[in-house]
Amino acid sequence: MKRLLGIVAWVVVAGLGALALMTIAWHRGEPISATWFVLAAACSYLVAYRLYSAFIAAKLLALDNTRATPAERRDDGRDFVPTNKWVLFGHHFAAIAGPGPLVGPTLAAQFGYLPGTLWLIAGAAFAGCVQDFVILFCSIRRDGKTLGEMAKDEVSKRGGTIAQLAVLAIMVILLGVVALVIVNALKSSPWATFTLAMTIPIALLLGLYLRFLRPGRVIEASVIGVALVMFAVVAGQWVADSPAWAAKFTLGGVTLAFALIAYGFAASALPVWLLLAPRDYLSAFIKAGAIFSLAAGILLVRPHVLMPPLTRFVDGNGPVFAGKIFPFCFITIACGAISGFHSLISSGTTPKMIQREGQARFIGYGAMLLESFVGVMAMVAACAMTPGVYFAINSPATVVGATPEAAAITISGWGYPLTAETMASLAHSVGEQTLWNRAGGAPSLAVGMAHIFSRTIGGDRLLSIWYHFAIMFEALFILTVLDAGTRVGRFMVQEMLGQVWKPIGRMNWYPAIVLSSGLIVAAWGYFLYQGVVDPLGGINSLWPLFGISNQLLAAVALVVATSILLKMGKLKWIWVTLVPMAWLVVITMTASYQKIFSANPRIGFLSYANALGAQIAAGKIPAAKIGEMQRVMFNQRLDAAVTAVLAAMFLVLLIEAVVDWHAILARGKEAKLHETPYVATQWAEGD
Amino acid sequence: MGGDARVENRKSKMSFADVFRRLWQGLREWSGDAAYETYVRCARKQLTAHVLSREEFYVEQLKRKYSRVSRCC
Repeated sequence: MKRLLGIVAWVVVAGLGALALMTIAWHRGEPISATWFVLAAACSYLVAYRLYSAFIAAKLLALDNTRATPAERRDDGRDFVPTNKWVLFGHHFAAIAGPGPLVGPTLAAQFGYLPGTLWLIAGAAFAGCVQDFVILFCSIRRDGKTLGEMAKDEVSKRGGTIAQLAVLAIMVILLGVVALVIVNALKSSPWATFTLAMTIPIALLLGLYLRFLRPGRVIEASVIGVALVMFAVVAGQWVADSPAWAAKFTLGGVTLAFALIAYGFAASALPVWLLLAPRDYLSAFIKAGAIFSLAAGILLVRPHVLMPPLTRFVDGNGPVFAGKIFPFCFITIACGAISGFHSLISSGTTPKMIQREGQARFIGYGAMLLESFVGVMAMVAACAMTPGVYFAINSPATVVGATPEAAAITISGWGYPLTAETMASLAHSVGEQTLWNRAGGAPSLAVGMAHIFSRTIGGDRLLSIWYHFAIMFEALFILTVLDAGTRVGRFMVQEMLGQVWKPIGRMNWYPAIVLSSGLIVAAWGYFLYQGVVDPLGGINSLWPLFGISNQLLAAVALVVATSILLKMGKLKWIWVTLVPMAWLVVITMTASYQKIFSANPRIGFLSYANALGAQIAAGKIPAAKIGEMQRVMFNQRLDAAVTAVLAAMFLVLLIEAVVDWHAILARGKEAKLHETPYVATQWAEGD
Repeated sequence: MGGDARVENRKSKMSFADVFRRLWQGLREWSGDAAYETYVRCARKQLTAHVLSREEFYVEQLKRKYSRVSRCC
């Protein structure tokens, strides 16, 4: 009877999910309630978890709860710490959830709500969760080895080096592009700039408190820090209202870029306890609070989604970024559907803390489902504003027009009615001087979040506070990625250079710290600067580059996973990782080819450089701007070279792996696995 | 009957306190607040000769944590 009830309940969940998916797919005309999105996502995730992840756990991986995990065998109280599965789920989720699932769906909303939403749900269920889950399993079976080490052991030595280089390259591009998102959110905004600037002294204060006054008392320090940050959000309004102070905090893109570069260097070179760690604690609490509040706000307010399911920009001429749904929707939304970066977390801290192999399903597959849900919420928040406003915030001036009036005419001409007064009034109501041309996703998401929050608490009176709370939350989030990423990048550079000249590899030698920090900051700072000065807004070039590199890393992870599963004799079920891997190869190679060679200057790096060259040759560029345009041309060619190198590195790894698979399957080569030997658990069932 | 109800009531109150205590402990473990206690428990169990002080452990733990990828995009 109980079993029958269970089956009925799951049939109801599946039916509800199918109904919700059909409703959002076929709905036309009137705005649609966000409730359908929540239902479609939640029911799909539940069914995917119940059926697909259970199938993977039982048939493909054969998770074994009698086998001692690294946490049990090596329990050292430091890295290897057996951790309650709910706590570890929170840990893992906090580590994988960065700004990506918020920004990517917001940018992809230019195609309409449908392509992005479907990719978020299906991509997570069949690709992203699978990657996180399988890599976690593989790492658990190898004492918590990293993706690079597993690539070296299970594919080839060259594969390991490629994976390491790919991680460093992606890190550099990622840091450049997320820094650009902050710059576009803060420029000409004294309120937001002041609030974010204040988080630095607040973090320093917490750093000193946690180091000398109350060592390690993270919760009490975070409570103090969160209260101070909230006060800084409110105080930002006073700064914006004071002409003298507002002038000090009204900064242009280039100034902000250099400020961020200086910050990144400081965070990497200073002791970790002083700035980086306390900011991370602050960010973790605010992140958890803001994501729960957004979910609660969407459920309470149930806003209407005003964006149509498909916009006219499915033709590839989108103002936010150029390119058709295939392949660009699938690389714009990386985190939230599938993100290669997650494989570094799944083969980092988490496998060293898991108590039982069986928990890998809940933590690896489940946490990614939750991240995908965050992506769906971001899509809802972005699509809940009128499409005209969305395009006004996210389009660069070179596409829509330099003056508000001209831009409003262009956007209205696309069929999304908008007036310059609407934008002026919206900017005033959120406490900004202007909201035009803020490509990057953060401001439009903040407007969407502020509307949802203000309809829950405070009404229009608190709209400006909520907007700046949302901007602070996104920027704090991104700064945490920026400083932690710069530091890890510094370690990678030190490790690599240390192989050439040993002293550079010494982690405590200050000249080596300064040199490697400078190198890594200069690398991502260069991408940031080129984005800031790019006439097309930077995001158009850099976000696809980031998406391609992140999805390439996911493809690397799935190649490694497929190799391991083949060696385990799982040929029958190999499609579980092989199909998403093949899909990623198709989208990344198509996107790479188009970004390098497309004849459309808004898509192809080379044709954009050539078009600028032709304009200079034809005398259409003023003499004073020629130097700047030549730098933009160089940057476009550099982006083309970076894309080509990343794609080539991946293809080398793929070919090596395919040759190995062929040798195992067709020529009977011995499949040598590098698993740690089986050790029976000493823990009783249920421990 | 009344006595039974009181016992039942106390039991349910206890379970509420238990849930709260577990949630609090979970939050402490998630945030890193309880990391030192976990380390000391482990060090004692393994009869480690030199157990780090709270200050030493805090700095050493942060150095290790932020030398590898700990935050994603």
